Amino acid sequence: MTRSRVRPFKRLGAVALLLALLGGTAGAQQQPLLWFQGTRLIFEHAAAEHGELAVSTGDGGLRRFLDRLGATLAFEPQSRYVIVTSQDRRTIVFSIGDPSYTVDGVRLRAAFAARTEGPDAVLPFFALARALYVEAVPAGAETVLQPRLGALDVRADGTRTFVTVRAAMPLLTTTNADSAERLQLTFTGQGSSLAAARRPAGGAVEEIDVAVGGTPRVPTTTVTLAGAPGTTHRIVAGDGPDTITIIFEPRADLAQAPPSPSAPPAEGGAVPTATPPLVAGRSTVTDLAITQTSDDALSVRLTLSAAAAFEWHRLLDHRWYLDLANTTLTGPGRDEHPSFGAVASVRVRQTGTSDAPSVRVAFTLSGEQQIAIEPDATGLTIVVTNVASVDPERIGYGRTGGPPVVPSAVAEEPSPSPAPWKFEPGSGSSTIVIDPGHGGDDTGTAHNGLVEKTLTLDIARRLRALLAAQGWTVRLTRDSDIDPVSNQNLAQMRADGKPNADDRAYLQTRCDVANAAGARLFISIHANSAPFASARGTTFYWFKPQDLAFAQALERSVIPVAGTQDDGTRHENFYVVRHTTMPAVLIETAFVTNPADAELLHQPSFLQNMAQGIANGVRAFAGTPSASSLSAQ
Amino acid sequence: MGLLVLFVVAVGAAWWYIGHRPAPIGDTIAVYYTKTDGATLAPWRVSLGPARDRTSVAFYAATQCIAGPPPGTPAVRFPAGSRVLHVDVAGSNATVDLSHDVAGNSPQGSFAEAAEFKALVWTLTQPAFGITSVSVRVDGSRVATLPGGHLELDDPLTRASF
Repeated sequence: MTRSRVRPFKRLGAVALLLALLGGTAGAQQQPLLWFQGTRLIFEHAAAEHGELAVSTGDGGLRRFLDRLGATLAFEPQSRYVIVTSQDRRTIVFSIGDPSYTVDGVRLRAAFAARTEGPDAVLPFFALARALYVEAVPAGAETVLQPRLGALDVRADGTRTFVTVRAAMPLLTTTNADSAERLQLTFTGQGSSLAAARRPAGGAVEEIDVAVGGTPRVPTTTVTLAGAPGTTHRIVAGDGPDTITIIFEPRADLAQAPPSPSAPPAEGGAVPTATPPLVAGRSTVTDLAITQTSDDALSVRLTLSAAAAFEWHRLLDHRWYLDLANTTLTGPGRDEHPSFGAVASVRVRQTGTSDAPSVRVAFTLSGEQQIAIEPDATGLTIVVTNVASVDPERIGYGRTGGPPVVPSAVAEEPSPSPAPWKFEPGSGSSTIVIDPGHGGDDTGTAHNGLVEKTLTLDIARRLRALLAAQGWTVRLTRDSDIDPVSNQNLAQMRADGKPNADDRAYLQTRCDVANAAGARLFISIHANSAPFASARGTTFYWFKPQDLAFAQALERSVIPVAGTQDDGTRHENFYVVRHTTMPAVLIETAFVTNPADAELLHQPSFLQNMAQGIANGVRAFAGTPSASSLSAQ
Repeated sequence: MGLLVLFVVAVGAAWWYIGHRPAPIGDTIAVYYTKTDGATLAPWRVSLGPARDRTSVAFYAATQCIAGPPPGTPAVRFPAGSRVLHVDVAGSNATVDLSHDVAGNSPQGSFAEAAEFKALVWTLTQPAFGITSVSVRVDGSRVATLPGGHLELDDPLTRASF
């Protein structure tokens, strides 16, 4: 093997690099002038090798390159794999000693095999860059590492077709739609490795054309999507900033058949249309009102027969829409052009399929107007205010009130079967310990204007009053904004060399309050969060066998009173339920990251209901403290 | 007689070894992720390179798990930037050293925390690996929990922990 190494490169022209690339052997002694995103990319340890560029995983230049792309690299000398994870979560795997590598499972061949060199691995850089959708492009005497559109996935789902474009870098997109069936997307700063033309078989998209323009340094790629006749399109958020998804689907107004003259009148005397038939358990829009409520506000009120989940999107071109899932219109759709400057048009349409109908409310706005969604027990009100929005969110979820129509998710994993444990009401201590989660510097999770440590203390204080009224002696692990810790615990754990002694001491102190008091029950109160907005509901976590029955009693009592989604009881290795000696449950009351749950958590009445539900569960599980236990205190 | 006893013991030992040794690792392995309900696990399969030693495969599997399933798959994913720094396999225990990025920029809440580590533990404890428990380190250190976290990470985690 012939190899040359210059450490560090000072000057090496792109011509020499390309010669090296084409020549198949090393010999390039000059530094390649690599440009990436407007700056020079300089490697500390690199060598031309077999027409490639060999770069060490320990090279600062490679690290900077990966950082700019949002990619991470994992390697350790004991392992024979080098794994790079792209921002869109694709994995590129090099095996030490093997010239083949995989990109999301697809096997490719590099110019040379990855190898170890001291504590690092040496990789074929251009192969790695290509896998990350970055291509080396000659530009005069230099070489530009050009970010590109790397993948265009077309997926048909029933009558809809999803087109997803993935790129190396966050997308800067301009859209141009000359009709509902035709959409042109222009991506500035991105070249393309995609095929110039594509004609997907079947589905709602007939043709996809890709054209590249601009310069090597500032390329522009235009993707033109032609939908089938009678289709329309919408753009939805992708998995990340470097991904965009377009959905083509039949236009609702064309998909609906004209009303049949012989059709029987619908319930309530509404004008019959070709809406899907009413189905038990499905929500129906029983009334629809579009009114200008003030000089600055327009409201759309939908009255619903039952609860419904909804999802909203704000598009980049000032359109905004909300879909109500599993919902039908009883009357015809609406198409209005109000004399209200902020809203050019409002459309309400039946969309979806007969199996999965949905109702869409769509606004064409004059700018980034502020929109508020106000779900309540009987429906939903959308208020558009003529004020420029500062809300960066472009997607959200929620749920209206009323009887639930969507069952909660069913877990496939069986829960471990704990040994039967029977609690005997009326026996034992009359003390209950409530643990308001987090506190002090540990704020817990914080979203939507809610801070977990504040919520947990609020609910705990309400619960204390309710349990005291039942006759219990109640202790809180904290009654102010502190993270309680016993100095004795801190000193002991530090002396014992316990891992992360401080964190452990804080959590153990909460357990010690209950253990030392010989408490009958331990209730830890929390608020949940998730990396996406759709997760919601109340969860009851347990660990020890004797916890389960208590968790189930709380579940039965809390859900009907609080009105949250029942996420069930779950067995988890959580510290405070594991290290307490009595029946203990950690309640995640609701998700601060879910708009509907967050709305509830903002309401004092909900916090009171939550406390009441827990108090009811305590009574159902343990009854009330017996006279004997009271006298023994 | 002595030889016969020795023969029986040898046969018994061989039988025990064959019965208890892990099945050989094939060309592909399962990597688990947790669905967006926070509880349900689902596997996807990834192909291995030539290295089949337990440490390499465990490192590979853990890194794939941290990266998560293919793009577009709804899943509870480890925070962006999370990396596997080191994996050590000793007996039936794997020690996985994760970068501090697993804690995210702010406390994640029990939902994500439990879902993420459940997927990691199930990925590493598949029978072919001969691993039954997973010890977690963060930036090389033992931790009681993640900052502001709930899940106890000091003791080895097993499938029964979830």
